[in-house]
Amino acid sequence: MVAAVTRAARTTLAGTPNVAAVELRGLVHGYGGPPVLAGIDLDVAVGRVVALHGPNGAGKTTLLRLLATRLRPVRGHARVLGHDVVRQAHEVRARIAALPVYGGAYGALSGRENLRLAVALRGGDPASPRIDDALARVGLTGVADHLVRAYSSGMRKRLALARLTLADAPLWLLDEPYAALDEEGQALVDTLIAGARDAGRTVLVASHDLPRSLVTADAVVEIAGGQLRVIARPGRPPAPLEARA
Amino acid sequence: MNDLQAVLWVARKDLLQEARSKAVTVATVFFSAVTLGVLAFAFGENPLLMREGAMGALWVALAFAGVISAAQSWQADLEDGALEALLTSPVPRAAVYLGKLLANWGLMTALGVLLLPIAAGLYGARLGAAWPPLLAVIAAGTLGFALIAVFYAGLTANLRARESLLPVLMFPVVVPILLAAVRASNALVGSGDLGLAWAWLRLLVGFDLVYAVVCLVLFRFVVEA
Repeated sequence: MVAAVTRAARTTLAGTPNVAAVELRGLVHGYGGPPVLAGIDLDVAVGRVVALHGPNGAGKTTLLRLLATRLRPVRGHARVLGHDVVRQAHEVRARIAALPVYGGAYGALSGRENLRLAVALRGGDPASPRIDDALARVGLTGVADHLVRAYSSGMRKRLALARLTLADAPLWLLDEPYAALDEEGQALVDTLIAGARDAGRTVLVASHDLPRSLVTADAVVEIAGGQLRVIARPGRPPAPLEARA
Repeated sequence: MNDLQAVLWVARKDLLQEARSKAVTVATVFFSAVTLGVLAFAFGENPLLMREGAMGALWVALAFAGVISAAQSWQADLEDGALEALLTSPVPRAAVYLGKLLANWGLMTALGVLLLPIAAGLYGARLGAAWPPLLAVIAAGTLGFALIAVFYAGLTANLRARESLLPVLMFPVVVPILLAAVRASNALVGSGDLGLAWAWLRLLVGFDLVYAVVCLVLFRFVVEA
């Protein structure tokens, strides 16, 4: 049974094009039991940072995987920058950069080789000096040629952050970006998110760190019981953000 | 990036990982050697029986080794969400499949080329001038096998019972490939009937084409959740 859409969050930013970075309408997804996402609506305007909060199993990762085209909605639809995640999945993938919770690197390749692969698969130059810059930025220059299987979980997360910055994608989907990172690494994530916003990127962040989200995000959305609810709009003036029930 | 480059990058990634871990190489060479040895022992001391069974034993060893190779080819992708990262890249699903196929086919062909003289020596089969066409049969046979093995290994990669399901699912489909490959090889080594061998080889290539089209079309449904 599809739950009725009871709440929706709409973020719009004055002066931006009509196409939303993320547009969800009646989105339903589940894994056999009660739907994890029970008919949610959400609009996120271009250039916004939205934090997703909620208990374990609430559907944060499911939502990010739907937007990353790794899951198909049971009902409803999702669009990324105007492209449907099912019918135009390839176009969507060209516009997103996803940070999986476990990093997503190959252990038998070095950090540099992983980044070269990621850049090449996005159509970039695998010999680009940007790879060295990205490694330096996340503090992995000294271990860039070591196999990733020898990395700690925090170093793997840093490598994933480097891959994210190299993607040049207008939408970032970050799943628990602070997990496994030390204080410096967490501050780096904040810096990257702020830089992404300044560059006009849209960022969706699934995180349990509510105090940090209140600082970095334009809106904090809670997922619980299959529904979305805007619980804070800390980062920007309230006018551009409109919540509708 | 064009799609061909994506195919080559995925294949390069798989081959580089294998060059470092040697997981597939060690397992398949060891398993194939044991299979050839046990079958040679089972045939006894009848030289005629040994010669006639040489190519059959070769393909049995290649088939079982191929299952190990295919299952391993997805293993590294499943660790630490690497497959998730790969599949969110703007790369066509067919390029991912072809890249993995290329790497797997390369490994299986190399194994076939390695096993051919070993099987011939162990079973007393004379290869003579049959070498070049036999290499063509090995290339076509391992291609057909890899087409199906990589497809089904991808299908079962996320399942808990993947090790047991993979051979159950793929062997019924791969039987035509194996039969054609054994017949073509036997025609070359046994009777030396090039016409018969060519007929089986054409059939083998036909199977390859059919399986290639079907697997390429269906692969995106295999990796989509």
